[in-house]
Amino acid sequence: MRIAVVGVGATGARVARQLVAAPEVTEVRLIDPDRDRLRSVAKSLGDPAVVGGPSYDPAVEVDLVVLASPPGRHRLQAELALGAGADVVSTADSVEDVRALLELDEVATERGRRIVVGAGFSPGLTCLLARHAAGTLDVIDEIHVAKTGTGGPTCARQHHRALAGGAVDYREGAWVQRRGRTGRELCWFPDPVGAVDCYRASLPEVHLLVPAFPGVSRVTARMSATRRDRLTALLPMMRRPHAEGGPGALRVEVRGRRGKERHVMLLGAMDHPAVAAGAVAAVVAISLRDADTFAPGARGLADLDDPVPVLRALERRGVSCAVFEGT
Amino acid sequence: MLRAWQRAFVACGLAGLIAGILRLRGSGGTPPSRGGWRQLEGPDLR
Repeated sequence: MRIAVVGVGATGARVARQLVAAPEVTEVRLIDPDRDRLRSVAKSLGDPAVVGGPSYDPAVEVDLVVLASPPGRHRLQAELALGAGADVVSTADSVEDVRALLELDEVATERGRRIVVGAGFSPGLTCLLARHAAGTLDVIDEIHVAKTGTGGPTCARQHHRALAGGAVDYREGAWVQRRGRTGRELCWFPDPVGAVDCYRASLPEVHLLVPAFPGVSRVTARMSATRRDRLTALLPMMRRPHAEGGPGALRVEVRGRRGKERHVMLLGAMDHPAVAAGAVAAVVAISLRDADTFAPGARGLADLDDPVPVLRALERRGVSCAVFEGT
Repeated sequence: MLRAWQRAFVACGLAGLIAGILRLRGSGGTPPSRGGWRQLEGPDLR
């Protein structure tokens, strides 16, 4: 498998590291406008990583393109990759990128190519956990997602933008516009993260989960924020984002029915977001080698029929998930 | 002077009241009373 990784920041470098260790991968072509970073990442990875150019060149033949570039360019890069006959795995975490990529569904289907949208920590692992929890229930009524923590500087900037933007909830079959930074909910994440205040924000999970679960009546997404985050969300970032965030966590609550009884499944994960996102994108990229994993088109990881092989592969790479048992 | 102090106290009181209302708004917050998180493994991933 020849794979191009576009963007070698905190997440892209982790994706590339996971890919070079996979026996199925014969070439990992690294692409980034920052030449120094590109060379240092390629040098640290060794074979089969090779230095590509500053931007994705569809003339260089690869089987798959992993998009880990900053938000705003994923659709254009995906279109170029589709034109060159390559599959696409995107770690997009902005609503605009996710929606723009989902709009490529028809084009991708026509060309028999696959675009996996939001294959990171959140969205990505959140969608896998929602699908896994849904598998234990007969009817899915509600899905509520919460996340805390950020990966690299691009992720931190996106966190800031998401808090400033408007949120969308899905309620009883309708999209409801909500103000970001509202709807405080104290969410209990897997240990050692524990309880964190979470708020509505411009998060892409709702756009990925609603089409994947026809008949669901409520889908919401929240993310953690401090008082300072909320106060300064509408201003430019007060200080340079950190090179790497600390531990993050996810919490996915799926409510529904098993037989005649109502059940709540609560799944979660705790990891460094960039590390987990790198593992998710790499595992999904490798799984696309099998033509049956995903049908042609553009969709998120909640559309997987069976998320267990991906979750097992993630566990082997040290990304483990948890289930809440109790009241 | 006394009037200024009164105004300051009223302003602080109002600020505290508004902050309290904002803080209390929202749902959730009930800590788990029993059980906890358990790693997904083996039978959970079949």
